[in-house]
Amino acid sequence: MSALHVLHWTVVVCISYLALTYLLYLLLAVVGLFENAIRLRESAVEDYETLAASRFTIPVSVMLAAYNEESAITASVRSLLALDYPEFEVVVVNDGSRDDTLRVLRSNFDLAPFTIFSRRIVQTEPLRAVYRSRTEPRLLVIDKENGGKADALNAGLNMARYRYVCGVDADTVFAPDALLKGMRLVVSDPARVIGVTSHLTIALDPEATMAEPIGRRRVASRPFVAYQHLDYLRAFFNNRLAWSRFHFMLCAVGAFQIWRRDVLEEVGGYARGFTCEDIELTFRVHERYLRRRREYRILCLPDNVGTTEGPDTVRKLVSQRERWQRVIDESVWHYRRMLFNPRYRTVGLLGVPFYLVSEVLAPIFEVLAVLSLAAAVALGVFHWTTFALTLGLIAFANAALTASAILADDLQSRVYRVPDLAWLLLLAPLDLFLYRPILMWARLKGTWRFLRQDKGWYKFERNARATPT
Amino acid sequence: MEGSVSPLTAAFAAAVLAWASVATLTVVGRLGFERRRRFSASQPVALRSAPARSRRLVARAERHRGEAGKWKRIAALRTVSRERHPRRRALLRWALEDRDRDVAGAAIRILGEIDDDWATEMLLEALRANRYPRALAAGQLERRSPAIGPRLVQLLSDTDAAVRFWGATLLAGCPEIARGELIALTTDPEANVRAAATEALGARSGRGVRDAVRARLGDDAWFVRVHACRALGQVGSPDDAPALAGMLGDPWWWVRAAAKDALRSFGLNVAGVLVPQLDSDDGFVRNGAAEVLQDIGFLDGLARSGKEGVLRERILVAGGDDMRRTAETRADAEESARIDRRTGS
Repeated sequence: MSALHVLHWTVVVCISYLALTYLLYLLLAVVGLFENAIRLRESAVEDYETLAASRFTIPVSVMLAAYNEESAITASVRSLLALDYPEFEVVVVNDGSRDDTLRVLRSNFDLAPFTIFSRRIVQTEPLRAVYRSRTEPRLLVIDKENGGKADALNAGLNMARYRYVCGVDADTVFAPDALLKGMRLVVSDPARVIGVTSHLTIALDPEATMAEPIGRRRVASRPFVAYQHLDYLRAFFNNRLAWSRFHFMLCAVGAFQIWRRDVLEEVGGYARGFTCEDIELTFRVHERYLRRRREYRILCLPDNVGTTEGPDTVRKLVSQRERWQRVIDESVWHYRRMLFNPRYRTVGLLGVPFYLVSEVLAPIFEVLAVLSLAAAVALGVFHWTTFALTLGLIAFANAALTASAILADDLQSRVYRVPDLAWLLLLAPLDLFLYRPILMWARLKGTWRFLRQDKGWYKFERNARATPT
Repeated sequence: MEGSVSPLTAAFAAAVLAWASVATLTVVGRLGFERRRRFSASQPVALRSAPARSRRLVARAERHRGEAGKWKRIAALRTVSRERHPRRRALLRWALEDRDRDVAGAAIRILGEIDDDWATEMLLEALRANRYPRALAAGQLERRSPAIGPRLVQLLSDTDAAVRFWGATLLAGCPEIARGELIALTTDPEANVRAAATEALGARSGRGVRDAVRARLGDDAWFVRVHACRALGQVGSPDDAPALAGMLGDPWWWVRAAAKDALRSFGLNVAGVLVPQLDSDDGFVRNGAAEVLQDIGFLDGLARSGKEGVLRERILVAGGDDMRRTAETRADAEESARIDRRTGS
């Protein structure tokens, strides 16, 4: 077999892989649109007014883990305290920050140290102090030795008082109805719905973005940020909604994850041995519940519950995305026994295999595809017009999926201005050339670090923000 | 063949067309939405429909086929209800009895918007029926209490424990009635019912209430004890503090937390009861007593007055090193603030 023959077949294998993943994404996008339509209609007949006032709306402990978040923490905590929800508490865990996070919290929320004898459901790094706010009785701040986000959330879990907990990120600003929207389906079926996540958007300055009114909200004009926004839309509307419909929601995202507290206690809380805590926890809960043949649901909702801070430089984005790639690799590898195992129903038969094909193997195939296609054109195996048409096909096929996510989001929220929608739609076909290469590099880096068993977080610096008034 | 289009070119064209179609749909759909919004804001809604439209609406609200039909039915149900269609009662009853949870749930929510007696009766029936989450019907009934209080009392004698539970829970919002019935329910064979009755008594006063609640502090079920502690915090007085202080040693964290909350609610009046608990053999009791004394301001008060150094020390020993540290930090902060005020800095 000649080298050219090998090259030809390599290209064929790569194109087949891309076609297979595309078909999977297309199927998920169609199901996602369907799920979005159902949730939209459900939400339209939901009685939020009663839910917001009822004693029967289940109380929630919101747990926020913060590490070096001095610039973002105040806006995030304020948005949480402004939630329109009958009964909740906010437990902020300062995970041994080396910046002024604690000082900012103390001065902005009038904190004083108190002793609280809490439970030790999960072992954590030692607590330094617990603070109560003199002005806001629903706020509790825990200051502890650094132990990572999972450890911080476990400390919050030990202190939380309510039946449901909601883990959130310190760089996210929440909509007033976030918890109400998130808990809507839990209230209807608390016996089965054990976990909920919901759609989040991205911005360089979440506080400023969330302050803009519905229907007139702007999308970042910088393509680099707009592409991240599109990435989030695709992840939520094209993928996670469909996973939710198929009962294999594999990632209750860290920025907004509601869990029934006894479930977390039963599985031993958040795990510290992984790069990030959210995906692994979702895998673990599925594994436990399916192994024990219990009825349960973990849902993803299309409601926009908040805006999270996105990286503003390529370096920061690569740092974030390589970490996401690593945790996916770690989780799929750790729970490999679920792969194609009928005992784990759709999670084992569809979810984990999907992750394996579309995420774990993607960096290898993507690089192979780029190199082999370039070599094939250079060596004359394919004509350059074939190469150009193939690239164009991939770009527009992906753009169609992106447009479908934009459509789903707009049907759901009607939040952005029409010119901004058009801007996003026009950017979509260029995604392959302007944004994907960065992700490709990040995913390769993540895979490499996974193979080296690197578990570091490599937190990126927060973006510069306007001084709060 | 000359002039034919290669499959790749065709696929490329199809991809471009797909993107362009979805993009156009998105923008045009949004513009249409904006136009409809502006139009509906400027036009009054017709309360009475034309006969043909009315017939169509009723047909839609009667039954559905498929997922899309279901949501059309729900929308139609809402419309006939808001337009006070003469058949809305029958249509809502059918919807309530529908096997689809979305339809039944929507009927409950729509009934919640109707103030008539028959709607209340149907919600009570929905609460009795175990076809959908009872909390949904209870949420709507809660909005009508205390006006519907006497009807809720009937639920207390139901043979189904879940109905008695919801009856007692809803009666928490009607503090003027059913005191005797709720006291009787605190000895119900079902622990959930006892818990709900105890909780409801927390909003009442009068003869027998305090005794009935206090009796539940010794209940076998931990969650009944939780409700008893909370209720005693509401209906009791500092005289009940010894009984609540005894709950600080309960094996269940939830009960200890509820006892602490109740004791806090009595303020500084409980200090005299809690001080002896600082020397208890039970670590939970010592910790709990110290924590409450800290929270009600007794500990900081001792520091401020400069007296009772021994008593302060006893609290700090019972509370442990952490309590000593936090108390000193608060005292330092207070002292700094005082100096700042004096010096005007």
